[in-house]
Amino acid sequence: MVDLVVEAEDLRHSYDGNRFALDGVSFTVRKGEVFGLLGKNGAGKSTLIKAMTTLIRPSSGTLRIFGMDPAKDGKKIRARIGVVQQGESFDFTTVEGNFDVYGVLWGIPRAERRRRREALIQKFGLEEVRRQRSFDISGGQKRRVQVAREFIHGMDILFLDEPTVGMDVIMRRTLLDSIREEVKGGLTVVFTTHNLEEADYVCDRIAVIDEGKLLVLDEVENLKRLYGGKKTIDLTIDMGSAARFIPALTQGLGPGTSVMPEGDSMVILTDDPKDSLAKILELSQKMGVQLEWISVRKNTLEDVFLRSVDHGGEPLGSA
Amino acid sequence: MSSFARSITEVNHLEAPNITRLIYRNIKVNTDPGSLTILIGLPAMYLVFFGFGFASLQSSASGGSSYLSFLTPGLMGFQAVMAGTVGGGMLWADRRWGMLAQLLVGPFTRLQYLLGIMLTSVAFGLAGALVMLGIADLLLGALPVSLIGLGFLLAVIAVGSIFFGSLMLLIAAKIKSNTTYNSIQILVLFLVNFASTVFYPYSSALPAAIRVLFAINPLTYIADAVRAGYFGAYTTTVGYEVLVLCAETVAVLFLAVRAYMRSDVSTE
Repeated sequence: MVDLVVEAEDLRHSYDGNRFALDGVSFTVRKGEVFGLLGKNGAGKSTLIKAMTTLIRPSSGTLRIFGMDPAKDGKKIRARIGVVQQGESFDFTTVEGNFDVYGVLWGIPRAERRRRREALIQKFGLEEVRRQRSFDISGGQKRRVQVAREFIHGMDILFLDEPTVGMDVIMRRTLLDSIREEVKGGLTVVFTTHNLEEADYVCDRIAVIDEGKLLVLDEVENLKRLYGGKKTIDLTIDMGSAARFIPALTQGLGPGTSVMPEGDSMVILTDDPKDSLAKILELSQKMGVQLEWISVRKNTLEDVFLRSVDHGGEPLGSA
Repeated sequence: MSSFARSITEVNHLEAPNITRLIYRNIKVNTDPGSLTILIGLPAMYLVFFGFGFASLQSSASGGSSYLSFLTPGLMGFQAVMAGTVGGGMLWADRRWGMLAQLLVGPFTRLQYLLGIMLTSVAFGLAGALVMLGIADLLLGALPVSLIGLGFLLAVIAVGSIFFGSLMLLIAAKIKSNTTYNSIQILVLFLVNFASTVFYPYSSALPAAIRVLFAINPLTYIADAVRAGYFGAYTTTVGYEVLVLCAETVAVLFLAVRAYMRSDVSTE
């Protein structure tokens, strides 16, 4: 039997009584998985994180964390979670001072606090800035301090709200690898990001949320198969032909494909790339449209995301 | 590297209560040299400059009773106002810099956080008052205050710190703009400071509007009561003033708690 860490059913939340930031969201998070929340800005990801971390009480619906109701057992829940918020959160002291104070707040004894602080400063490359005030370091360094600091205490689930914003490639990879390492040790992670590549790298299951609604939720590979088709074709045509070529192409390719235009370029998701390529070449010749670039690749999570948001969560075959 | 995020049950924890940890944190992050200089330095400068400046003026007019002795307990009471600005400033800064939301997703309740700020304000108020007393001792020599008097005046300062802590929390809970918050704080400081008996005694010769301000200003009650404790001169009027101060403190504390509990914790 799978242990469920988070159980949400028909969650709704409105800040102003008019627009729903969460609109009937249902999902579960399993123990020991990395659960990705993807969505555009304002999609409802942070509201969902705030609800799961007890910062807001949803307007309606059922939410249980570790089987407990956040409205009644908020303190017990909070004692078992770690949260890296989307915005900055620092005390007005040095980087190492922030580790120490945070460790005291979490009740970590001095010797263990120091041991953990030193290990985290080393692991997240903060040695050079450890004696600088947290407000004086760069954006990427601040993000690293915020993420590293959270590991000063023990937890059963970690909520990361866009943790890699401003981080360089190496540090981003270090963080993602750390997450995977912690998950092997039994940690559960809920992770929001705009970066689909890193979601693909680190997440076991992904939920796409848009306008407060959960559009899709599945394992990453299943999503790629269901929403991305087997392959993706990237196509760029000569300037000015898009207006007449795209509608004809959409009609000509038929079922099992999806065309997502971006100016003179387009991304085509297809179950049968060979057939689609033949039809593209035939149609371009017939209409006198010049192909500037064409390539076939394995689909990515970005394709899944674009597809699911553009089509309201409908899988490829049902479009 | 070994796993950091071990289950909470596997990590050793300090036995210190949450409130103690919050107070430790509040003191630690608010005792930078700049904050301390303003917190202690400003009343100390009042004591030195006003004390000696007006002492010469007053002695030539009234034959030499010590203005510095009059001012010392007034400025000890004034520490309640300074403590209040620390309390309001903590809430404001914690919300501005994201620590309020970060603490409230930690193992604390909203009320514990609030209590932490209040008790920190009281600690700053009492510490500041004792520093004033120490400076006055250096300047004046033997002080008239008894141990009982000291206990009484420190209790009054503690209540006063809660009053002004609540008032500043109320303002901080309502206002999100840094400029507006600072402007209101300066205005409040000016009004309570100079429309009170901290620097000069109440007089029927004062203009009527200023007499009204004196009468509704809690700092007047604090300064009078601290002065009573300092000189051991307790009167019925002082007893009433302490009662009014306690009633005002309960009312403002209630309003502050309500505003804070309803306030948005996020920085956005």
